[in-house]
Amino acid sequence: MEILKLSVQGLSKNYDGLEVLDAVSFDVRSGEFLSVLGSSGCGKTTLLRILIGLLEPDSGKIFLDGVDITREIPSKRKMGIVFQNYALFSNMNVIDNVKYAMKFHSELKAQADKRAKELVELVGLAEHVNKKPGELSGGQQQRVAIARTLALRPEIILLDEPMSALDAETRINMMAELKRLQKNLGTTMIYVTHDQEEAFSLSDRIMIMNRGKIEVLDVPEKIFAMSSNEYVKKFVIDNMKARINMLKRFN
Amino acid sequence: MASIIILAFFGVFVIFPVCSLFMRITPSGIVDVINLPQFYEALKNSLICSGTAALISLCLALVCAMCIERTRIKHKAFFNLLFVMPMLIPSISHAFGLVALFGANGLITKIFGLNGSIYGFTGIIAGSVMYSFPVAYIMLADILRYEDGTQHKAAEVLGVPSHRRFLDLTLPFLKRPLISAFFAAFTMIITDYGVPLMIGGKTITLPVLMYNRAIGMIDYNSGSVIGALLLLPAVAAFVIDLLNSENRNNNFMPEPVTTKEGKFARTCSLIFCVVISIAIFAPVIAFCMMTFAKKYPVDASFTLYHVLKTIRRGAGNYLLNSIIYAFFAGIAGTSLAFVCSYITARLERYKFSRIIHLISLLTMAVPGIVLGLSFVIFFNRTSLYGTILIIIIANTVHFFASPYLMMYNALRKINPSLEDTGSVLGVKRLNIIADVIMPEVMPAVKEMFAYFFVNSMMTVSAVSFLAPPSPRPVALMIPQFEAQLLMESAAFISLVILVVNSLLKLFLREK
Repeated sequence: MEILKLSVQGLSKNYDGLEVLDAVSFDVRSGEFLSVLGSSGCGKTTLLRILIGLLEPDSGKIFLDGVDITREIPSKRKMGIVFQNYALFSNMNVIDNVKYAMKFHSELKAQADKRAKELVELVGLAEHVNKKPGELSGGQQQRVAIARTLALRPEIILLDEPMSALDAETRINMMAELKRLQKNLGTTMIYVTHDQEEAFSLSDRIMIMNRGKIEVLDVPEKIFAMSSNEYVKKFVIDNMKARINMLKRFN
Repeated sequence: MASIIILAFFGVFVIFPVCSLFMRITPSGIVDVINLPQFYEALKNSLICSGTAALISLCLALVCAMCIERTRIKHKAFFNLLFVMPMLIPSISHAFGLVALFGANGLITKIFGLNGSIYGFTGIIAGSVMYSFPVAYIMLADILRYEDGTQHKAAEVLGVPSHRRFLDLTLPFLKRPLISAFFAAFTMIITDYGVPLMIGGKTITLPVLMYNRAIGMIDYNSGSVIGALLLLPAVAAFVIDLLNSENRNNNFMPEPVTTKEGKFARTCSLIFCVVISIAIFAPVIAFCMMTFAKKYPVDASFTLYHVLKTIRRGAGNYLLNSIIYAFFAGIAGTSLAFVCSYITARLERYKFSRIIHLISLLTMAVPGIVLGLSFVIFFNRTSLYGTILIIIIANTVHFFASPYLMMYNALRKINPSLEDTGSVLGVKRLNIIADVIMPEVMPAVKEMFAYFFVNSMMTVSAVSFLAPPSPRPVALMIPQFEAQLLMESAAFISLVILVVNSLLKLFLREK
């Protein structure tokens, strides 16, 4: 588990004079579940878009398995992404959503039907193959988005606030589901969120960002015990402790 | 690359022609126009007729929109359909319908023994009201539909009576749309050439004067001065609409306004809608009777004589020509509007996006007759002049803004991450457009095509400057037949245009 998968070195991005990402460097291990936690405007979505290749950094480099992919096009990065709003193909049913992209990849084309079916089963939507996204619940839509991403066998999956459109109960179910999938498939996941509960319950490690910089990157237990960093203490730990106290009162 | 072609297209077919019209304007040309004996008369008539007609049409449209959107009368769908039906016949037919009903030999004139004095002021105003009513109605009904119902609920709970809710909540909410609708109607009417041509009689308006100078006397300089003058209200309407629309984009509506009108109010609403419907439908009935009756309004027995006579005079050919023009304008316009709106709605960061958006909207500010004259001035020495192609291009440009905006809004509503998803999944943008985006915006695509087609079938403004003597667009045969006193033929043509347009709408309807 200690193999280096992704290495990010000195990524910077500037919008109209505002330093959205400021020389961000970190490593991700193979099979790791890394959360990027921060409030809106901290640069986490920009980071994600640069990692997947939808945005070019002003400076810095990205290495995947030791290969520089900084200028590589998105589809050649062996990464998948689940967008916040899923971006499903609304005119296609579940199975076609999963199958669609495989048609454009010669090595996957032949087995597209079989693979799509397996993936739909894997995410637990076997009964809904013929439904269109509009007929599915939020959680089911998210499963389609995950299956569609898995279809191309990505080595890293990026998730952009995937739970933000779900209600509390579905969110808990989907979090467990996601963790199960990640364990079984061994896929590396980078999970962007502003929700501390999601970050702390899912992650192997958490990266807390503030104003385009990394405040801290460590395992949840260590972060929780931290008191040296003012920002982390004020916005993360105190907040989590308040929540725990509240739960204690009722339990 | 596509952007360069688009910008070049708009440059050659909008900006350069309109600039060439402006370059015709000289101080002495302005003095000449001001000294024209009819100029002051035409200006006065245009302003009074347009102001009055726009106001009447706005009031009628507001009441109709309130009846449909705020009461529980029956047959709403039917009324709604009838209220927008006038958009399927040319302005010239609205005026001709009035002639058929109230003219010297009109049905109502004969029945009630009137003197048939519809020509002139009254006729222009009445015809213009008919012509502009559906546009005002659609604008207001659309706004009313999206009024936030929660504040009405709150006011109701607080005990505010319903008429006060209308005055204090709905009217302020409608203020900007009413101003926009007024200017839209005013501009439509003041730049319209069909109604005054048909029913104006000796009452001359600016577009008619402009046509007489530019085409009748080949005096492009005076025509350009009047054209520039007609551009003013259109530009004003454009600017006002732009300023007004800022807050309108957000069609988020927590809940619609629900109404509990009394029985009396509901009956009144129903009666009002019926009266308006009859007024809208009466000309169509007159057209049918004139076309198929032996000698309207004296002998009502059925005959195809007038139809056959009109066809012998070449109507079939003209109709076919018009359908071809309209079809190609539909194809060209829909394609161009789709590409433009795709660039501006979904490639926001792209450097040409803003300029294409601006030019696309700007075409709205150029009235048909001004565009027609601009084309004459700019292209009259080129081989393009007098061809079918220039008419198709003129129609494409003339009717561009509305479909463009329709598509722009449709594309903006679609999930913004689709193309990004495609690029991560290794699916090309063109595939995403064809396989995912197109199916989703198909209703809007059909609507765009219908808009270009229907308007190209009806227009007499730009094309009357550009059309070769033969084959002329079919709508231009209406004044021609009327001038030759072939009223039945003119009625038949009006009817044919309505039928063709209705059939197309029916064909493209969403199942």
